[in-house]
Amino acid sequence: MLTFTQGSPEAFTELFARYQRPIDGFFRRRIADPARAEELTQETFLALLHAAKRYEPRALFRTYLYAIALKILRAHRRKAIFRAAFFGRSETTPDPTRQDATETGLWVRRAVAQLEATDREILLLREFEQLSYAEIADLLQLPINTVRSRLFRARIALRELLNPSSSAAAAPDPAQATSPGGNPQMMAEKGQRA
Amino acid sequence: MITEVHFTEVHFTAPEEIMALLDGELAADRARLVTAHLEECAECREFAEILRSGAQAVLSWTLPLASANPDFGKRLADAAREVTVQERSSGISRWSAYHRRHWVAKAGVAALLVVVALISLRPMMMMKNEREASLGISPAAPTAPAPTGLNIREQLGMAGPQDRFTTNDGREEQRLSIEELKAQREALIDRLQEAQISSNLAVSPSTTLSPSPTEQSQPMIARNVALSIVVKDFDFSRGAVDAILARHHGYAASLNASTQQNAARSLQASLRVPAGELNAAVAELKSLGHVENETQAGEEVTQQHADLVARLMNSRDTEQRLQAILLQRTGKISDVLAVEQEIARVRGEIEQMEAEQKSLEHRVAFAIIDLNLAEEYKAQIGSASPSISTRLHNAVVVGYRAAVESAVGVVLFVVEYGPSAIVWLAILAPLTWFLYRRWTRATSLVS
Repeated sequence: MLTFTQGSPEAFTELFARYQRPIDGFFRRRIADPARAEELTQETFLALLHAAKRYEPRALFRTYLYAIALKILRAHRRKAIFRAAFFGRSETTPDPTRQDATETGLWVRRAVAQLEATDREILLLREFEQLSYAEIADLLQLPINTVRSRLFRARIALRELLNPSSSAAAAPDPAQATSPGGNPQMMAEKGQRA
Repeated sequence: MITEVHFTEVHFTAPEEIMALLDGELAADRARLVTAHLEECAECREFAEILRSGAQAVLSWTLPLASANPDFGKRLADAAREVTVQERSSGISRWSAYHRRHWVAKAGVAALLVVVALISLRPMMMMKNEREASLGISPAAPTAPAPTGLNIREQLGMAGPQDRFTTNDGREEQRLSIEELKAQREALIDRLQEAQISSNLAVSPSTTLSPSPTEQSQPMIARNVALSIVVKDFDFSRGAVDAILARHHGYAASLNASTQQNAARSLQASLRVPAGELNAAVAELKSLGHVENETQAGEEVTQQHADLVARLMNSRDTEQRLQAILLQRTGKISDVLAVEQEIARVRGEIEQMEAEQKSLEHRVAFAIIDLNLAEEYKAQIGSASPSISTRLHNAVVVGYRAAVESAVGVVLFVVEYGPSAIVWLAILAPLTWFLYRRWTRATSLVS
């Protein structure tokens, strides 16, 4: 990006080639209509182009790009809510049969859709965009510990939604779990037992 | 949700830390401890496997290859090239680009400022033009000869070596800087104004308290002066005003002195001074302290007076003729009564006009001075102030009254606007509820 701001248009072409698919995936996992997702992808890169003059490398470029995408996504959702509330038009949904033919893991999509909104966003950013906890915290303006606990909650909830029969599977009880440095006496006992 | 614990042992790590370890988000020292724990604890290893398998399941959600619009990539590359070229060719900074984008707004603001400036300057320009016009000076022709035969500035003692006005004896105009010319011009205007005021006062029938209208061949001008003076010694100034009035044969038509405790004292008075002594009286009043505001005005009443005198003469002639008719002619009683009624009416008119004439002449003979005398107040430490108990008592009373007033105000407000509020609530509440329901439904649908 810095190369582009210093006068190399080829750098922006390279950026587009590198990030076009991830951004497209970002929108297609969050919006039912693939055509609309593609439009938003294009909007994101246009916004990036127009904002290039103001770009300052204060964070990772990836974080910067996803911040733009997230902002565009929120604007799209606001407009969709407004249209649905006042004009009675909901977001156009694609033909499910065609989508089934091309998209795998639809049950995952349905399970993810049932998660709480913030948990879902954190899970998607972590699993598919491969953002670190710190980057997610920066994007969503949340404390990093909140991101971690919400991600944990989302993963557990998703597992239950994907595999209801495995409710017997369990996570260690946080009440019983202690940090390694938090209880040296128990650590010593454990060491002796070992 | 799976949160129940089926572990038989106490664990030394939180499940979130296992997740963070798998995500590579755990600090190195804690990662070592958690890894060691996983090697020892079968249940935690099992939980880690659950997390891994969950992640694998999530990643089974794959998207088909996007059929990206190739045109968009090409257009985007062109746009990027264009942006870069523009930046290179113009070389304009971000700041100037920002200004360029907002030139319309700035032009609008500039136009608005110009309009505001013109509107605010217009009355000042008009006043200045009127003043210059009244003095017979045209600002556009500063080199015009003075209206009198001689240079009027010489008469006023202002002519100097740098005089820019052309004199009648053909002296050439000397070049001066713009600032000097302006300063001299303003000074000349002020002096001319003063000279005109003095001449008006001099020709006004002010030397006699009851001038004869028939002898009035000069303009009659009713003078009015307003003075605002700040004085240091209020008591002395108060006495000085009386002394000035006595010295100039004037009197106070009204006088209002305010001497509040712990506050600046003030005096408002409407003084009447013989017109001939107005200048001297005003000068003495101004010497009492610092003049904050001075206004002088003159109203010419010559025409009004002449008209009044003419009408009075006619009415007197009419009265004399009617009396002659009453004395010399004979006729019916009704005719006699009609003549007497007419005489009474004319007599009433004459008396009314005589009163108006006297009032008018009095206005000309006595100038009005509206004096506002204010003390330059200095607070004194030892000044008497109410005791603390009195102040406390007053505060309690005031507080009680305020509480009662506010309570009554709230009750009155509720009584006055309550019915309307209920009506509007009944109208708007269902609508708001309907919109809220639709909004929440739409939100759930979209997200």
